[in-house]
Parts: sequence; structure tokens; C-alpha cells
Amino acid sequence: MTGRVLVTGVGAVSCLGSGRAALWHGLLAGGGQPRDVIDPHAHMESALMYLTPEVPAAPVALAHVPLSAGPRFAVAAAREAVDDAGLAGPARAGLPVVLGVEMGNARMHEDRRTGTHRTASSDPDRWTPMTVTAAAVAAALGSRETHTSVGNACAASAYALTVAADMIRAGEADVVLTGGAEGATRVGMGAFNRLGAADPVRCRPFDRGRRGTVFGDGAAMLVLESADHARARGAHAYAEVAGAAWSCDARHPTAPDPSATHVIRAMREALDAAGLGPADVGAVVPHGTGTALNDVVESHAMRAVFGAHCDRLPLINLKAMIGHTAGVAGAFGCATAALALRAGVVPASPRIDEPDPECAVLVPQDGTRPIERPAVMVNSYAFGGNNACVVLTGGAVDR
Amino acid sequence: MSAVVTGVGMAVEGLADPDDLLHPLTGDDSGFDPKVALTGRGMRHKDRASRLALVAAADALTDAGLLTDGTYAGCGDRTAVVVSTNFGNLDSVCSFADTIAGEGVVGLSPLGLPHTSSNSVAGWVAIEHHLRGPNLTVCNGASSGLDALFWAQLMIEAGRADATVVVGVEPGTGAVARLLDGARSLDGAAAVVVESVPHRRARGAAPRAVIADFRRGTPTSATARPVGLRMDPDGGVDLAGRFGECSGALGVLQCVAGVGYLDAGGAGDVLATAGRDPATSMLLTLPGRAS
Repeated sequence: MTGRVLVTGVGAVSCLGSGRAALWHGLLAGGGQPRDVIDPHAHMESALMYLTPEVPAAPVALAHVPLSAGPRFAVAAAREAVDDAGLAGPARAGLPVVLGVEMGNARMHEDRRTGTHRTASSDPDRWTPMTVTAAAVAAALGSRETHTSVGNACAASAYALTVAADMIRAGEADVVLTGGAEGATRVGMGAFNRLGAADPVRCRPFDRGRRGTVFGDGAAMLVLESADHARARGAHAYAEVAGAAWSCDARHPTAPDPSATHVIRAMREALDAAGLGPADVGAVVPHGTGTALNDVVESHAMRAVFGAHCDRLPLINLKAMIGHTAGVAGAFGCATAALALRAGVVPASPRIDEPDPECAVLVPQDGTRPIERPAVMVNSYAFGGNNACVVLTGGAVDR
Repeated sequence: MSAVVTGVGMAVEGLADPDDLLHPLTGDDSGFDPKVALTGRGMRHKDRASRLALVAAADALTDAGLLTDGTYAGCGDRTAVVVSTNFGNLDSVCSFADTIAGEGVVGLSPLGLPHTSSNSVAGWVAIEHHLRGPNLTVCNGASSGLDALFWAQLMIEAGRADATVVVGVEPGTGAVARLLDGARSLDGAAAVVVESVPHRRARGAAPRAVIADFRRGTPTSATARPVGLRMDPDGGVDLAGRFGECSGALGVLQCVAGVGYLDAGGAGDVLATAGRDPATSMLLTLPGRAS
């Protein structure tokens, strides 16, 4: 499999507002603040989430299936990404959709189980698998191509993006829409509360006082396109998906392997695939969730891969600004990396009260910094020991 | 084609080998018995989908000659897991939703937490055999099993793995029965080992079948040979007609049946179809010299 894969469109809906511009300017302004999900009967110690300002009013349903927030975010971000890439009618009909989704239409199902669902439906008891998010996007765009749902939990959309890039490299498609979408979910928040991994203050990755993650909702979408196809139609690229790699800890169903062996392997294989060395990386969007173990393990892995370069390698502390967006986290990471590469700067992290001495990484808090090297690495990990690493390079890089 | 099928396995009540998928059972009791096979120490604290998947995966790895005395004989770092399931953790998610509604978060059992994650089945299969390559979960509705096989092949062609164990699983839980309004559904799993040709050759394993074509819409035969076994909801062998709704397990089950058919010397190619509008289909052929 050969060929270069470019990012030619970006769309986003996040707690920072609707659209990629809102995401980028919101990150430059220091990110968003979490607020309480109103759910008194769940008895959660922390009901905080980085919530989008509003849920889109449409689409309310796909065929007989009522759609909750997740699929609606997906459709909004997908439309923006496809418009951004300049894809019109026939190009949309032939556009495969490969999304990473962890909870799908979850809120609709949860509400129905607790008797608060009020949407009229001809078939109210019909549950749908996670693929409904990809199906809703494909229907909204008029795509008649394959639509796929990758269910790799919190690494789902980084996996999906790699699948999409491989499809282009394999000659299966010239252009693929990829990304992810999640709404608020009671089961997800409940599980992290029960694990004692939900921070009641805010999401504080790499802070010594961190007490777990804080979820966020929204959607991030990227149009990936072969370089030849983009050149032929004169499309502008944000960045290139230069390399990506996957690995699995195969050790524990929820906790990361403290040795970080396979996280390190994924990072090195992604750099190899990109034909780059550690010194070529100018910024990292870490998985950085704010859980006690993740941030230590990931910091250790970055030191192993980047060595002393770590001291000058700025992290984009994304989850401190938009929360942990679960299945969308990898796509938000890649969208942010693409926007950062275009702008040539790294947004500053929100305040860290006390940097964790066990996390020997650089999290700049003192204003934006220029990206001084050509590549940005994005890490995305999940339950099941799933690890994904994507390396993006600037569109202007001549490779 | 650079990928080839080298092993198949199953965990379907009463069935002993792939040929059983295509013929009436003989009545002997050598087949899979979930009451026995899904219990024991290694099965503790796992949901039904994960248990069924573990049995089928071990069966396929053994069939491929990749499991000796219960230990994986290949390179774990270069071996991938792809799981296709639509209802996999529905029971866990429903029970968590009900517990939160009834008792709040404090009522949740931490032991069940991993199963609320959509990829827990693939995680358990990886943990069981120390498979540290790519770990992919596909939840694609009717076409999911065939999609999973296609992704496994693509992963090998992309150089991301040397071998992949593909599992299609649907558990026969109460949550699924309620969802399907009591309609019959599969309580089982199927597994297929897909391997790169150089890897297969290096270890001297026999090639069993090749995925010659995959597409939305009926494929044109990639060989000059006619289709000898057709598995289609609208004609030929209908596995869902026999086992009930197979959902995410269907495509993988079809592949296992197809390999059983080719193993037994069946004539012609195997065409498996899942879903409608558009249908997804896969053509399996006997391996040629290049495989």
C-alpha cells in the first residue's frame, strides 16, 4: 500500500461551540469549563461534563430510529467537514464514512429505559447498534458508499481514522470521511464515578491533584483524501496523515500496562511509518485523561520515545480544554493537530496548580508557542488495552 | 492476494466442526456444550459474549496450528484481533442503566465495568493469548461480520499484522431476546484466522481459503469457476434461517461454513451475502499457487 493521505476538510462541535473556528479560537482562549449534567437520580459524586452549548435541533430521526445528541453532533460536524473540503453532490454520494463511536445513540436508549423518552416513534422499542451514527451521517450527506462503525471505546476514532487512511492507501477509495461523535451518557459517567475516576473539580491532566477524567460531548470530523486526488481538483490540505500505528497491551481490561511497552511501540511504529524521527516532532496531543495512572504511564512513554527532546516538546493539553470526548477523543486530537499545523502554533494549557513530578513532560501554560518541527503526534488509548498513535505533518512539508 | 485463511473455529451449541453448519446434526453429543465450556476459572467475571468469543478464538487458533498446549505459538506483537458484534455488551449496558436508575451509581458492580466498554470482547481475546497487535471492534449491523473479515485482510495488506483472529459473536442474553421480541437468535461465536502468505509459508501451515472479493452489491466471480455454495438470506444456505438472527456473527459464521465446504472438497467457489440494500458479499475460493 502506497500513497500519501491528506486532511482536506475539518468539522467540529465541542463545548467551545459549533464549528472548527470555534474549536480553534476556544483552544487559544484557554478552553471551556465543565458544568453539571442534571441527573439527580444517578447519585454521582461528580456529574461534571464539558458540554456543548446546545444540541442541534436536527436530524430528529433516521427512518424509524429517534436520534439523540451524538448522531446529531455527527451530522453537523460532517456537513462542515465536507463543505470545508469542497465536496458537492456526486462526490458525497461516493464518499465512504468510517466513524469511531463508543456509545452511539446511547442517551436515547438510556432515557427510554428510565421512561423519560418522549419522541414519537413508529417502533419505540427498537434498539440500534452503534452504527446508527455512521448511518445518520451517510444519510445526511447522501452517501451510498460503505459506512463503518469502529467500536474501539475511547480510541475508536483514532482507529477509524487509521482504517480510513488505509482504505485510501489500499486504493479502496480516493476520499473518506472519518471522525466520531458522542453525547452525554449516564452509563459512561456512572462507570467512571464507580471507578473513582471522575474528577469533581475539572479535567486536570498532568496535575498532581488530578482525580480522574471529566467527559465532554461533541463531534469531530476529518475528510481524508489521496494526495493525487486532492491535487487534481486543487483542494487545499491542512496536514498529511504521515503515519499511524496500533498496538494492544493484552494485559488488563481497563488499566493501562504500567510498563508502557506497547504504548511506546505504537509511538515508534507511527514515527517509522511517517519516515520521521523523534526529533522531527514539534508537539504532541497526548491521550492525557487526568486519571492517575494514564498520565504517568504516558509521560514515561514519551520520555522513552523522545528522550531529552521531551523537555522542549510542548503538549497540547486538549482534554483540559474540552474534556475527554470518549470515542471522539482521537478525532478531536487529529483535528486539533491539523488546525495547529496550519496555524503553526500550540495553544497554551489551562492552569496546572501543581505539575506532577512523575509526569516529566512540557505542558506550556504561558501563551501560545510556535511549532518548531514539522510533525504533531496524537495519542489515543482505551479500555481493552487499545493503543493508537497518529503522526500528522504540515501541508507545506515537502516529502 | 496476500492474505489467506488458515484456521476456523466455532462455539455454537451442538456443533463440532464447520461441516455441521451445512448439514443436519447426526445426534452424537460431541458438539459444543455451553453449560460445560463456558464455565471454569478462565471464564470468571466475563460476560457471555466474551466467553463465547474466547472458545471460538481458541478453536480457530488451534485449527490454524497457532496454539500449542494453550500457548500462542505466533508473534503476539504482530497478531491482531478483530471482533464483530452488534449486541455484544447490550446486557451489561442495560443492566448498568437499570442499576443507575434504581439504586444510583453506588449500586454498580466494579467487576462488570469492563463490559460496558464496546471493545471488551476484543480486549479479553487479546489478554487470553497475549495478542498485542492491532485490536479492532466493528459494530456495523448486518454486514459487520463480512466487514470484519475484510478489515482483517486489509490490515495484513497494510503490513499492520502478520496474522489476525477474526471473531463474530452474538450472545443469547435476556436483553437481546427482549430486543428481538422473542425472535430466535444465535447464541454463539465463530472465528477465522487470516494470515499473510509469507507468514503462512514460513511456518508451513496449510492454506484453506482465500477471500477473493468483497464488496457492496453482488461480486462478480474472481475466478472462472462457478459458485458452488451460496449463502444468502434470499437463496441457497440461509444460516439465519437455521440458527435465528445471527447479526454481527453472520459473516464470520458464513466464512467458517465456507471453509468447511472447501475442506470437504466442495465444487466451485463460496459466495456469502449479508444484509439488503445494499447487500454486502464476499467470495471465498480455494487457495491457488500464489497463496
